[in-house]
Amino acid sequence: VTVRPMEDGTIMLEGNCPIEDADGLLQCLLAAPAGPVDISLCKAMHTAVIQVLFAARPVIRGPSPSPFFHKWIEPRF
Amino acid sequence: MWDCGVNEFLEQFLIESRELVEQATGDLLALEAAPDDAGHLDSGFRCFHTLKGAAGIVDFLAMGRLLHAAEDRLAAVRTGDPPASRGLIDECLACLDQVAGWLDVIGATGELPAGADAQADALIGRIAGMDHVTMPADWVEGLLAGHEAERPQARAAIRYAPDPGCFFKNEDPLAIVAALPDILALEITPAQPWPSLEHLDPFSCNLVITVLSAASPERLADLLQPVHSHLEIRPLAGTATLSPAALGVLQEQLRLFSAGAAEGFAGRLGSAGRVAGHVLRRAGWTTQAAAVDAAVAQSQKAENAGPFIAALEAALDPPAAQAAPPPDAAPVTLRVDVGRIDALVKLAGEFTVVKNALGHVIRMARTGTDPNVLAVVLKEHHDQFSRLVGELQRSVLGIRVLPLQHVFQRFPRLARDIAQSLGKSVRVATEGADTEADKAIVEALFEPLLHVIRNALDHGIESAERRRELAKSAVATIRLRAAREGGQIVIEVSDDGSGLDLATIRQVAAQRGIGSAEALAILDDAAVAELIFAPGFSTAAVVSDVSGRGVGMDAVRTTVARLGGKVGVRTEAGRGTSVTISLPFTVMLSRVLTVEAGGQSFGIPFDAVVETVSLPRSRVATLGAAQAVVLRDRTVPLIALTEILDLTRDGAATSSEVKIVVIDVAGQPGAIEVDRFGESLDVMLQPLTGLLRDMDSVAGTTLLGDGQVLIVLNLERLLQ
Repeated sequence: VTVRPMEDGTIMLEGNCPIEDADGLLQCLLAAPAGPVDISLCKAMHTAVIQVLFAARPVIRGPSPSPFFHKWIEPRF
Repeated sequence: MWDCGVNEFLEQFLIESRELVEQATGDLLALEAAPDDAGHLDSGFRCFHTLKGAAGIVDFLAMGRLLHAAEDRLAAVRTGDPPASRGLIDECLACLDQVAGWLDVIGATGELPAGADAQADALIGRIAGMDHVTMPADWVEGLLAGHEAERPQARAAIRYAPDPGCFFKNEDPLAIVAALPDILALEITPAQPWPSLEHLDPFSCNLVITVLSAASPERLADLLQPVHSHLEIRPLAGTATLSPAALGVLQEQLRLFSAGAAEGFAGRLGSAGRVAGHVLRRAGWTTQAAAVDAAVAQSQKAENAGPFIAALEAALDPPAAQAAPPPDAAPVTLRVDVGRIDALVKLAGEFTVVKNALGHVIRMARTGTDPNVLAVVLKEHHDQFSRLVGELQRSVLGIRVLPLQHVFQRFPRLARDIAQSLGKSVRVATEGADTEADKAIVEALFEPLLHVIRNALDHGIESAERRRELAKSAVATIRLRAAREGGQIVIEVSDDGSGLDLATIRQVAAQRGIGSAEALAILDDAAVAELIFAPGFSTAAVVSDVSGRGVGMDAVRTTVARLGGKVGVRTEAGRGTSVTISLPFTVMLSRVLTVEAGGQSFGIPFDAVVETVSLPRSRVATLGAAQAVVLRDRTVPLIALTEILDLTRDGAATSSEVKIVVIDVAGQPGAIEVDRFGESLDVMLQPLTGLLRDMDSVAGTTLLGDGQVLIVLNLERLLQ
């Protein structure tokens, strides 16, 4: 599983997060709408996963998975 | 300053737009008072429509979009669906406020501010009654406007709206975009407003991605081939395009020189060259800008506009679209009644007649006409000439006369907003708004009137509930009345509020040390009311329970006094208060340069000032008891202001530099050493009275904005 809630309430995204993770992430965020979502171990995210982050705008922690993500996606949250 | 002739178009746009904003504001307020009034609705609608059209012509797209949205809503109201609501009027007023704000920025910079699109979107969202904002009709412009800095390099704009079901087709839109080369800007917006999280379908794509890229449109189309059916790619000429506005500016520069050489060639060429270079650079045409710069230098040397014209024409050859003109300061314009201009034109004609007649006198003199005959003829022409000069002076002064409407018209809206913030309701009635006064007076009146109205709203006018208890109309009335009485303009601001609380004023005045309890006790009611104008008497949260931004009424008295006027107050308990401001019809303003010497400020009449210079102290030569400096090969006597006025010098005066105001009084040069230069001010000089009347080195005094007295020097006396 590449998306999982941690004990302290943080939602961890790990490795390559495929389209299926969009629903997992959404469920986690429904439980904790503000996150935080930790992306420090994430290597890539499918647009569907990014879209959930856009819709929910939780607190996001950790360095971006890619320069593209850092430059163009992260500032839009 | 704006370069002459260049921005007439934009200036016109600003003047008209400001008037339309005023007009629309008035109509909306009237509509609020009478929601069924079709006349005001139509008029307001037309204002929005005209404003929108004007914004489109000058290429201010964000402004056009915003006005379009408001106009749509008003159009719906016209068909009665839904009727005009308070909320809608609020939104439309907010929209006008935004436009007015933009107009100020355009006035200063020639273009809309960078965030205009976002501001427009936010308001459009509110006007449309939803939080979500769809992409602007012209998404390319919207995208470019949000990324001005990238505009010159952008060669293509991409709008990619993936199919909602694309995730199931294994499409990863952002991954596709991430692979694109040379991304300059990227925006991601929801195609439909985001639903609440519970209702979000995580597998339905709801994104619109817009991209500016420096790569060629062909290459991008190639890379995006797999998703081409959800794609729009627009080639941008990027650096190779000019907006119609920029184009207009450049063509105007050409026109300046097409009529052949005229006076002030070098100056005009320099100015036109700067403007052209600026516009070209702004649009990213750096090569052409450099070519124009070089051509200007060439033209200056040859005193021939040929090279400049050729370079500009070459640059203008392929015209197109984008960018904006680059002025740097707000224009000061005055709308003048056509009749007054006609009078001036007629006068110009009469002057020509006199000039021709004088030519005839010259011929008479050349042919040996008897000097006595000549004298008679000359006397006749001189009389005619004096009459014309007198008329010219009157006409020119007349141009400066404005109706008070200019200042009155701003208050209904302002009073409404202030009242709203205080939970009160007010209407402003104006009377005699067509009364005219000098432009300086009309413009200076805004602030004191605003203070008076604010105070009335804060302290005088009761809350709606209280007013109902008192059997007064729930909506209070503030009456602004202007009238001409002899050489005076009298403006009265009266409210139908509770009147001044004289007992509290007495008490506060005693507390603040404005007078002793005994002295205050013997004052009659009218005199007590006048205490609100005393310096140090702040009415904030004291006279009434309504806390507020108690604006000291002494500021009102100071401003009015500076204009040579008087202010008074009458009050009747439970019935209201009325403040009367009387002002002279015209103000003769003198311009002074303020300087500091010995820690004090002085004014030097500006028309005597030649220049201000700072020189090393070594340049000051001592000649016997006097000092002098050599300026432009002329020896000029130097007077130290501190010495002549017996002031103690402060530190600045003993520095290694001398600060000198070079003056010329009736052809006699002089130099005045000061400690510091100040600013130039338009002031109304008041002659000295009382003990100071005999001080002949002082021309008069004036009150500064902060209440300080500025002594204006009499230079003739000083130089003697």
